[in-house]
Amino acid sequence: MKMKEEKNPLTDEAERELVGELKNLAGEPAGQARRGPQDPYWANLIVRTNDRIDRATSPRALSISWAARVAIPGVVAIVSFLVALHYYVPGDVQTQASVTDVLRTLPVSSVDSLLVDPSRADPSLSVADVAPDVFVFSSDQIADYLSTHGSVRAAIDGLNDREPSDLLTALGSDDN
Amino acid sequence: MMEPRSDLELVQEVRNGRRQAFTELMRRYQQRVYWVARRIVGSHDEADDVVQEAFVKAYLALGDFRGDSSFFTWLYRIAVNLSLNAVRKRQVMNYLHESELLSRILPSSDDPGRDVEQQETESALERAVARLPEKQKAVFVMRYYDEMTYEEIGRVLKTSIGGLKANYFHALRKVQEYMRNENERGEESTHR
Repeated sequence: MKMKEEKNPLTDEAERELVGELKNLAGEPAGQARRGPQDPYWANLIVRTNDRIDRATSPRALSISWAARVAIPGVVAIVSFLVALHYYVPGDVQTQASVTDVLRTLPVSSVDSLLVDPSRADPSLSVADVAPDVFVFSSDQIADYLSTHGSVRAAIDGLNDREPSDLLTALGSDDN
Repeated sequence: MMEPRSDLELVQEVRNGRRQAFTELMRRYQQRVYWVARRIVGSHDEADDVVQEAFVKAYLALGDFRGDSSFFTWLYRIAVNLSLNAVRKRQVMNYLHESELLSRILPSSDDPGRDVEQQETESALERAVARLPEKQKAVFVMRYYDEMTYEEIGRVLKTSIGGLKANYFHALRKVQEYMRNENERGEESTHR
């Protein structure tokens, strides 16, 4: 309730009261001031205002007005646009790096491996994963390989003098 | 006897090229426009200029007048805006040309542009109104002198009725306070 009163402090009654007090203080009725212009002034004011309208509507005034409101701002805007266009420098353009550019930054060996076998390009692999004896095979492994992928004849032909008897002993068979 | 034509009929005639109709509109409203300008700007010369400018502006913009409000409200709005602009321009000028001499002559005035002679001839009420901030001054002039309704003032100033009432209330209080002080000062000097 208090908020409402503060927001609209002037009720009709309060306004009448305040205005009444003010009129008493001013000692004059509200209305036009005491010292107003005389009749000739009003007649003359119309004449002077009409003159001013004539001047404002003359072709010259209209041209100046048109120039001030339309032509000059228009020309300034166009010139500004052209100047800005002329001196416009685009900011740093962030271009997408091509695959070729990225490849160029890699060591040659990596590029080779990628190109030869992309499936091997596993980022979790490292040199430490490769055992130093990775290419050293036992004779059993070689025998298994040859028995699977090679001919038996070639495997036997490859035995030296002692190996056939060792083989037979291992298999529990005699020479004959 | 011929019935006087309405404002809208006269406006239509002006639009049709009959300039005389605009003179009729000027005759009808020049005094009200003059007084609102005079009370806002506070001097005859400036008010005289504002009235002429208001009519010229109204004449040139008559094509834009849509008739949403009455012609007088529309004209009144032009006059009030021009008057407030005139007050602002004068304040800027005063600020730029403020001299030590002038501030000594008018030590307590908020509006040092008004000359001493004018201060002597105008009433205390006019002096009090001259000290009001521009918005309060405009509302005070329209409500106190012209006895316009808040709805009419709202259409002129494009302000809510609540805001106008608050402005008028503050204006009345300030003017009243100024008048009381003036009266007390006057009584003191009479007793001496």
